Amino acid sequence: MGNIFDWVDSRFGVRKPHSKFLERRIPENLNYSYCLGGMAFTYFLILAVTGLLLSIYYVPSEKEAYRSIVMITNEVMLGWLIRGLHKWSATLFIIFIMLHTIRVFVSKAYRPPKELNWMVGVLTFVVVMASGFTGYLLPWDQKAYWATEVGTSMIQTVPFIGDYLVYAVRGGTEVNGATLIRFYSFHILYLPITISLLLWAHFHIVKKQGISKWL
Amino acid sequence: MKKEKNFYPDYLSEIIVAMLVSIEILIILALLYYPSIGRQIDFTKQFQPRPEWYFLWLFEMIGYFPGNSAFIGTVVIPVVYVLLFLLIPYIDRGKNGGLKAIIVGIFLLLTFIVLTLISVL
Repeated sequence: MGNIFDWVDSRFGVRKPHSKFLERRIPENLNYSYCLGGMAFTYFLILAVTGLLLSIYYVPSEKEAYRSIVMITNEVMLGWLIRGLHKWSATLFIIFIMLHTIRVFVSKAYRPPKELNWMVGVLTFVVVMASGFTGYLLPWDQKAYWATEVGTSMIQTVPFIGDYLVYAVRGGTEVNGATLIRFYSFHILYLPITISLLLWAHFHIVKKQGISKWL
Repeated sequence: MKKEKNFYPDYLSEIIVAMLVSIEILIILALLYYPSIGRQIDFTKQFQPRPEWYFLWLFEMIGYFPGNSAFIGTVVIPVVYVLLFLLIPYIDRGKNGGLKAIIVGIFLLLTFIVLTLISVL
């Protein structure tokens, strides 16, 4: 490969540590449904990139969140497109996780020794749903506000500790500026880091156990 | 007959094609239906918002448990739902394990689809 690659490789070590990974054998006759997980992962990567771009202009404050969304959509160059890509990737991410789950289920690929990877996958799915929920509040408009007000009020019905839980989630008795920052923090830090770690585990297990053939 | 191929470059090139197709689907949707700007918050006027499509099933189900039984819809059923989903490899054990797993799997999927449809229609 090129001179620049060789220069990096001789100092950093790219080729040798990855040779086992790159040269591993993959079964030949996999059908197209084996793409679904990879396609979902593509949407995760796009969510990360478009999310980073949005975070440059978005302001997670009670007073300015809505205005910053208006600015991203109307003034920032291609801001409307980045927003659209982020929103649609989220929808497609969830659709493709569902399709991937159905494929794994139908091909019985959750059977031993792959139980752990199934459970890692389900947990990822739950965290992704939480990401969708927290992201929904960020535009800080009428729909976002009341959807979160209603959504978080469900936590109140938890027996005994419901009131404390809902206060912890909202950072107050009602959805307010503190909730917005809380959700923002979870949406861009806690949850993406959690998803990344879970997906690392997910891929690590696939690499270790190999791709199972359709049973 | 056991046919195999290398990850690099055979499988990797297939992955890249799948990624490109995913990106194309995304770009087409984002260009056709781009998100609008919502109305500013009116704190005085509560209105019934609809959640994102993937929460509609939950939203619909909660409606069936009014008053004191609300926690069944908000806590008990979702927790059982996720546990069943999580433990499918362990439901698929022993005699008729495969059948049990299929019944649970179809139940989970149908619950999601039917409740979502009721909510949409």
